[in-house]
Amino acid sequence: MTCIKRLFSKGPRSKVAWLIGEALTSCRCFHAELVRSLSDDLNKVKYFFSLERRSGCIIKLTFFISQVRHESSALPVVHHSKYVCDLAPNHRFPMGKFPRVLQCLLRDQVITEKQVWVPEIASKDLLSCVHTEDYLDNFINGKISEQEQRRTGFPWSEGIVRRCRYETGGTVLAAEVALQRGLACSTAGGTHHAFPSYGSGFCLLNDLAVAAKYMMDNSPTKRKVLIVDLDVHQGDGTAFIFKEEPSVFTFSVHCGKNFPLRKQQSDLDISVEDGLEDKDYLSTVEAHLPWLLETFCPDLVLYDAGVDPHWEDELGRLRLTDQGLYQRDLFVLKTVVKRGVPIAAVIGGGYSRDIDRLALRHSIVHRAATQVWRECGM
Amino acid sequence: MEDAEFDDILDDWFIESLKTYKDLHVYQLEHPTQVLEWTSGKTVCVAGYSQSKNEILELRLPLKLLADENKSLCAERDFKVSHGGFTDGPVRCLIHIPGTRCAVTNDGLSSDLQVWDLGGEESDVIRRTGSIKGKKSAPERGSRIAARPSSAPQVLHGAQISDVQLTELASGESLYKLETDSADPLSSLQFVSDTVFLAGCCNGSVYVADTRTSAPPQLSHSPSSDKSVIWWTDGAARPHPSSCRVIRVSSSGQVVISDLRNLGGVGCQAQLDVQTPGRCSQVDVKVSWAPTLDDCVSVSGFSGVVQIYNTRLWGAEPQEARPLFEHRGHAVSSQQTDDSVPTFVTSHIWHPERPRTLLSAASDGSVHVWDWVDPDRQGGSPTP
Repeated sequence: MTCIKRLFSKGPRSKVAWLIGEALTSCRCFHAELVRSLSDDLNKVKYFFSLERRSGCIIKLTFFISQVRHESSALPVVHHSKYVCDLAPNHRFPMGKFPRVLQCLLRDQVITEKQVWVPEIASKDLLSCVHTEDYLDNFINGKISEQEQRRTGFPWSEGIVRRCRYETGGTVLAAEVALQRGLACSTAGGTHHAFPSYGSGFCLLNDLAVAAKYMMDNSPTKRKVLIVDLDVHQGDGTAFIFKEEPSVFTFSVHCGKNFPLRKQQSDLDISVEDGLEDKDYLSTVEAHLPWLLETFCPDLVLYDAGVDPHWEDELGRLRLTDQGLYQRDLFVLKTVVKRGVPIAAVIGGGYSRDIDRLALRHSIVHRAATQVWRECGM
Repeated sequence: MEDAEFDDILDDWFIESLKTYKDLHVYQLEHPTQVLEWTSGKTVCVAGYSQSKNEILELRLPLKLLADENKSLCAERDFKVSHGGFTDGPVRCLIHIPGTRCAVTNDGLSSDLQVWDLGGEESDVIRRTGSIKGKKSAPERGSRIAARPSSAPQVLHGAQISDVQLTELASGESLYKLETDSADPLSSLQFVSDTVFLAGCCNGSVYVADTRTSAPPQLSHSPSSDKSVIWWTDGAARPHPSSCRVIRVSSSGQVVISDLRNLGGVGCQAQLDVQTPGRCSQVDVKVSWAPTLDDCVSVSGFSGVVQIYNTRLWGAEPQEARPLFEHRGHAVSSQQTDDSVPTFVTSHIWHPERPRTLLSAASDGSVHVWDWVDPDRQGGSPTP
């Protein structure tokens, strides 16, 4: 059923005016485009709603609101406190980075609390659009074998199940909000080594795949989704999942000698050499992204902004600097946004035992997104 | 094995290694080495063992590996060749003379030694500066070498127990000779103090002597009378400086630990699980006490695995020993076809100060630097 966002009024001058047609009850979904008015009164906002009936007719409704929205009109950042769970003290996975990413963005006043969107836990139903019933049953109920657990790098726990589901929910929400607002970032996500029936390499559910499939299917005509995966490891799970799906294009730039050695086939794989630095790395991305956008014409881009190409990363073998990552993210986000294509970013992989440094590195994409948001007048 | 299957095994091992190692760096030399010798806390020497010309290299460990704090600030993760040179033959033994830029090698074919200058700041060339003649034996075999820990550069060397001598490098003068009639070939030679040394024979007997005296050495007989079995030895003045324990490992996997103060007795024993078809005869078994971890020993040469044991768990009766840790990196990462020779670990050494850091080299040219996690402490359980 529809969920129409309630717009609350704030302040004494508020007045809400709704105009809703009878067609409301029969619509499957809607998306809202926010267009900021360029008038003097910055509080005046024009909304376009398009309601789509089953028959495919589109009814456009327009209404005005003359107050400040409850939700911030700045860059949406998706975060959930349950993105974390307890792990053994010396576990290599830097679980502590997720809350720290948000903390450093708030502390540095890059964003405010008002910009935070909180996802729901991904339902089994939602996850089943990518993962098999058996795997989900075993996963949720703790029936994953020792051997399978070993390959994922995580011992099974209820906590890990919950956090993965919230993370996936977060990526899906980021994609939805990106469609509404043009740009959104999660403070987690990028679990691209998960396959439909098993996990691998610290990935238990494939959030990007779930988001892409969900967004692709939940629209009257199949949405085209471009997944740009710049994590230093190949997005093998995602590549496998969408191998035969023409509406989802998987693009991965990764270091050839990194995990996984057994590679899948993305729609476009760029395997780079060890030690690649800022300039050459950026050229590589610049050489491919614009023409991909031109030829594939996606309706949505999902961006895995993994920071493991950084020279300090313990598992990656490239040599990007902080500046290099920033330039990369700026380029990707700006190029996509300028074409009017919505883009949702996830933080992707990063491995360092200095969690604070790592979190700061992951927050680069949010800073770049803030910059793009500002520059493009979003 | 299919390429994809093989990659899968490696991927599995990689994920596993994230948990079992604190650090692990994998390198590939152009040619395999049988020698690994520290020349400083950060540099190590390696050398080839092919029949003719070989490279002798001094490698600098990546700073990233050695930094304790600010680990992430070190960009360099590659092994750098800081000095290099060429040898005329294989290198089967390489010893660094402490406090100098000098190394001594033996080719395993004759008892003569080659002396090298490892080069300094102004030159990156390792040059041969001289040689030391060893006593000829029949049949000819290679010498073991040990460097005197302190004082002026002197090396102890010999191919068999009766030929062991201490030679001063500068003059070539022989300062000491071991007085014994036995012609047992040596498998190890090392100083346990500045003047006391152990000479381990291939047949399992161990001699202890002091270079300050010409009195005959003390002898600890071989634990086994089986003549087909070869033994390797390592001694260490641990856990207390006053005691010295000697560990002996045989080619059939028998292990015996004795105390130097009571050479006749047996401290404890164990049986290692040595797989058939067994070790390659070209490759020496290496057994080594850990420099800083009490009671830990490492063993390699039986396969592509380096095993670490906690000997505190061993008793007087030989029982099968389970390793505390196994470094399987060389075995896992070497690609094998049906008719190829399996990979063997040719040598390994402990870092002199970092408690759990080791270097290991294998017959496929791989060199690994690894810092292992003690599985007993992994979950936070108390150390034994």
